Amino acid sequence: MRYIIGLGSYSQADDSIGLRIVEHIAQNGLERGFEAVSLADEGMRLLFYLNRGTEKILLVDAVDLGLPPGEYRLFKPEEVESRKELKRLTTHESDILAILRFAASLGHSIPPVTILGIQPADLGPGLELSPALQARFDTYLRVALEEVIKGG
Amino acid sequence: MTQNLSINVHHLTRVEGHGNIVVDVKNGKIEKMQWQVPEAPRFFEAMVRGRHYTEVARITSRICGICSIGHTLASVKATENALGIQISPQTYKLRTLIKHAENFDSHVLHIYFLVAPDLFSAPSVFPLVPTHTEVVVRALRMKRLGHEWGSLLGGRTTHPNRVIPGGFAEYPTEAELRNLRQRLVDVQPDIDATIQTVLSVADKLPSFERPTEYMALSSDKEYSLYDGVIQTVMPDGTKQRWPVSQYKSCTNEYVVPQSTAKYTKNKMGSYMAGALARFNNNYAQLHPEAKKLAEALKFKPLCFNPYMNSVAQLVEIVHSVKDSIRLIDEVLGAGYKPEELAKPTKHGQGQGGVEVPRGILFHDYGYDKDLMCTGGNCIIPTNQNHANIQLDLEALVPKLLAADKDEKSIELGLEMLVRAYDPCISCSTHYLKVEFKR
Repeated sequence: MRYIIGLGSYSQADDSIGLRIVEHIAQNGLERGFEAVSLADEGMRLLFYLNRGTEKILLVDAVDLGLPPGEYRLFKPEEVESRKELKRLTTHESDILAILRFAASLGHSIPPVTILGIQPADLGPGLELSPALQARFDTYLRVALEEVIKGG
Repeated sequence: MTQNLSINVHHLTRVEGHGNIVVDVKNGKIEKMQWQVPEAPRFFEAMVRGRHYTEVARITSRICGICSIGHTLASVKATENALGIQISPQTYKLRTLIKHAENFDSHVLHIYFLVAPDLFSAPSVFPLVPTHTEVVVRALRMKRLGHEWGSLLGGRTTHPNRVIPGGFAEYPTEAELRNLRQRLVDVQPDIDATIQTVLSVADKLPSFERPTEYMALSSDKEYSLYDGVIQTVMPDGTKQRWPVSQYKSCTNEYVVPQSTAKYTKNKMGSYMAGALARFNNNYAQLHPEAKKLAEALKFKPLCFNPYMNSVAQLVEIVHSVKDSIRLIDEVLGAGYKPEELAKPTKHGQGQGGVEVPRGILFHDYGYDKDLMCTGGNCIIPTNQNHANIQLDLEALVPKLLAADKDEKSIELGLEMLVRAYDPCISCSTHYLKVEFKR
């Protein structure tokens, strides 16, 4: 099974981008040979998708890439170092890179993981995306679908 | 006695959200002792205004990622009460079943990932992987069950989308319910092992006691998680009940300078909500197997030790598994089938109360004739515990000082106290900040 997994907080503007992408996919019946999953802000649940039968995982999330708002990058966990100021593994403020390391230390099978990171413009309270991200929503959706289907 | 002490725990770890512990002692005199909550308000009550009743629970479930099932249930209950929507007995039981899933899932998380590191003298669960591999693997196995149990009923565990006003949008199949039942039977060895793990470190739980008022939903027919009336039990054992519609007169929210979160109180200076409050209020309704565990642990109501909240959670894990097996049997035995959604019959104001893992939760909404929300109010359990945490600290610090504990031990004792409440201060933004390797 392939998964596209959305992470984020729906009530904090652009932090919801990953959730909106996977909800759009699920609600519009765009799942083709993969499953769209919303994990919201409980990143630790990612562990339950790191199964032997998992072919690949695409994570979609707001990421501080040091780029202008709305820009995005596809990257592998091993290509980056976390600069998040988290000393320890917690359950809400989950650092996905730490969770993947945790899973590896427990002997979990780690399938190929790609992250679609999108640079947020606004992380304040709010149920709407910022104009910068809203304007490129279709692009993020296309990139996400191409990436999760690729090689299938 | 310790004469000088300066503790400043900025953003306490292994709690959900941000809270600080600040203690200053000079020449044996306590000059400052505060549980501070610096989180920003999140404006959910404003976000639901002007939304159709079918949208409200989808928004307010986002208040929390851990308790999103409970927020969904409190929200749909408030909406159903406001709009005169009568749910069926099958819906009641399936909602109780998903409530059990959340309690099980969250309690496993708290006991194993947030509390156990203190008891095993580890800073987090990470260092326990090489030394206690079997314990960590077991914890994740149980957590997976909680995740899949909630997902089966709710469509997904985090922000469930099948639980909607009037019933369920989709139903698990009979075969899926039977499979869940078997998994609940099969988890028993993991529960037994969890009990043994807790017993092996139980002597590390501090013996501090401070009598307080305990508030929980209560019912004569069951151990209240999904439904009931408000009940408190006082230190002398007297109990009083109020309808959920009177929640404001029991919570009496107020503001304090050191916290952006509101505090609450009822008859005393503070009250406690959560597993220990439920245990103290509703012990008689626990499943016999859960009571058997409590007896084996010599754990009985009224218990005034807040550190025992984690043990009450363990008792509730047993209760939730056993009661869920009963619920599945009853649902399947009563001609289980998908049902039509119950419809609104009126409009107005309505309240909903449920027990989430951290305690009693209230949602309250008004709706106009077009079934659009005119306003909302949500009082979460962690806010209800802030005053009790503060008063616990004020009682505990002098004892620790008198016992001549060193600063590190005192700091750990205070951190463990706050963690025992399993506070869910906020669902803060979690996004990654990365730098590409060169």
